[in-house]
Amino acid sequence: MRVLVVEDELRLAENVARSLRESAGYAVDIAADGQEGLFMAESNAYDAVLLDLMLPKMDGMALLGRIRQSGQHTPVLVLTARDDKESVVALLNAGADDYLTKPFDLGELLARTKALIRRGKGQPSPVITIGDLELNTVNRTVQRGGREITLTAMEYRVLEYLAHRPKAVVSKTELLEHLYDYNWEKFSNVIEVYISGLRRKLNEGSSRQLIRTLRGQGYMLQE
Amino acid sequence: MHRDSIQRRLIASVLLSQIILTAGLVVIGVVVTYSRLLSTLDTSMQAHATSVAVLVRYTEDASGHVYFDNSLLPESIDPNHPDQFMVWADRTGFLTRSEDWPDGLQFQPGPSQHWNFTYAGVPYHAVRMTHVPILDREEGKSFQPQTLTIVYATPTVRIRQQVKVAGISIFLASLLLLGATTWLASWRIRQSLSPLQSLARQAALVSTQSWKLQPPKEAEEIEELRPLTDSMTQMLARLEYSFKQQREFIGNAAHELKTPVAVLKSTLQSLLQRPRSSDEYREGLQASLQDLDRLEQLLQWMLRLARAEQWAQNAQQRALDVIDINSTCEEAVERIRSLAQSRNTTIHLATNGPVPFRADPEDLQLVWTNLIENAVRYSPEGSSVEVAVAHTKDKARVTIQDNGAGIPASDLPRIFERFYRGDPSRNRATGGFGLGLAIVKALVEAYGGTISAESTPGKGTRMTVELPVGRS
Repeated sequence: MRVLVVEDELRLAENVARSLRESAGYAVDIAADGQEGLFMAESNAYDAVLLDLMLPKMDGMALLGRIRQSGQHTPVLVLTARDDKESVVALLNAGADDYLTKPFDLGELLARTKALIRRGKGQPSPVITIGDLELNTVNRTVQRGGREITLTAMEYRVLEYLAHRPKAVVSKTELLEHLYDYNWEKFSNVIEVYISGLRRKLNEGSSRQLIRTLRGQGYMLQE
Repeated sequence: MHRDSIQRRLIASVLLSQIILTAGLVVIGVVVTYSRLLSTLDTSMQAHATSVAVLVRYTEDASGHVYFDNSLLPESIDPNHPDQFMVWADRTGFLTRSEDWPDGLQFQPGPSQHWNFTYAGVPYHAVRMTHVPILDREEGKSFQPQTLTIVYATPTVRIRQQVKVAGISIFLASLLLLGATTWLASWRIRQSLSPLQSLARQAALVSTQSWKLQPPKEAEEIEELRPLTDSMTQMLARLEYSFKQQREFIGNAAHELKTPVAVLKSTLQSLLQRPRSSDEYREGLQASLQDLDRLEQLLQWMLRLARAEQWAQNAQQRALDVIDINSTCEEAVERIRSLAQSRNTTIHLATNGPVPFRADPEDLQLVWTNLIENAVRYSPEGSSVEVAVAHTKDKARVTIQDNGAGIPASDLPRIFERFYRGDPSRNRATGGFGLGLAIVKALVEAYGGTISAESTPGKGTRMTVELPVGRS
């Protein structure tokens, strides 16, 4: 998963990014003002946007409007210092999916971001089940047929992304875009490595292949 | 608390004037009726007295004596209450009196007059006529003719009754009219006061959400209500403005306070998310300390602003010494010197003789420090900042001129607002909170002074502070 943090308070942005990377295994980009935020949101594929309201150059509300105008469905979590009813209502009506008032708890921020991403991909449950595969997005564990499978961080991230889009063909580029931050292109040939690693670990003691490769198109996770 | 009502007052005054009118009508009616009746009575009494006089005859001899022939007595004016009369002849003396003359009632001949008296509970009106000629005078009689004095009294029971009836009917009619007019007046009064009530209803709709007072049309058309609606509208506009400012300030203050707290909290939380190396901990703690410093600074600025604004409201209550404005400027320049040196900026201070002023030197130093620091920060490196102190008899003028980028005309009117930042990113980078100029303004105004800013984009900004030195 890849998340954009638009926040002019650099230290706060870095703390949030660090937490998202370490605790959720997300790729995180940071934009320090509204214009940069808009540019990044328009040119990259994000699974969620965390948006501060008081931003230089273009305020969060305007940015939110632009994102929604362009028809992007990316879930937006607004970080705001204002918690009066009117501002909250205005926010949600402008197309925000959720909000957190500053100062917030990083744990809550993580949970809300995860929930937003899940819902954005049509997966209401934090535990995704595909056949005998069970993926717990809260504590990041994977089981197949009741057997615990230990994955590396990158393998988990690949599987998590595929699991959020079951039965859909996911191209290598899409995987790269959603698993790495802005300099993803240099990682282009590592996806095969993670896929083969995943296949090996998932197939231990089982004959049925979960990850299918569609030549020239990408990968698909199915029963 | 005693509650009064305009409506009740108006109705009461209408009622009171109506009652006075009624009473006056009754009194005038009674007096007029009585005097009219009395004058009629007088006429008929005189006629009756003349009829009595006709009954006086001379004796057949030549003595000139008279007698009274009571065979043809006139009837009483009021058949139920007999008239009384008494007759004297000027030579013969007492001649006669009415048959049922009450015992003990006595009259004397005298000048002619009208009068009233009461005898045995019966009120009388009496008339005394003198020199009434005796009509029975035959031709050829040689004696000196006599004249008569007649007292004729008639009971006024009947006319008193009539006056009473007239008085009561006038009173009752007036009472009826009084009721009707009072009802009409109170109805009209209530109707005339109704715009006041609809105005009150509209005023009740004003809240912190909607400050607009929509005076009802009927209230706007009334001359007496115009000043009230006008001042209400103005008052609401002022209230709305200060309320908005207050709300904006609270919102801004909350934002400014919450942001460093959010940074601090997130730093510590992410530090605790997993075991870290001691270097990471050290780095995190140092960053936290910096955030705390910023928070502390912000709090100090906010307190300073609150204090300055409080002073602005009761500046006269402080006991202050006379100080020299020049020395506060010198002190401020000294404080900024290291910052200026680090930016390779020179500060020129031009003064012209001591300028005595009653003030707390710390306040003035804070004002100059803020203004000069801004000038230095927003000037390109290597430029200069000019500070000049000039004074006339009653005014000291301090100007601070920089050669910076200037302030856009659209921002100029707002730079003294609390938390206002022309460009948030630039100010945050320079460490400002947007409070400095607000504090400066509050302090200057606390001393009865004014501050203004002129700016030419690309050329620089000039801040002018004027203080009333004549006052101290």
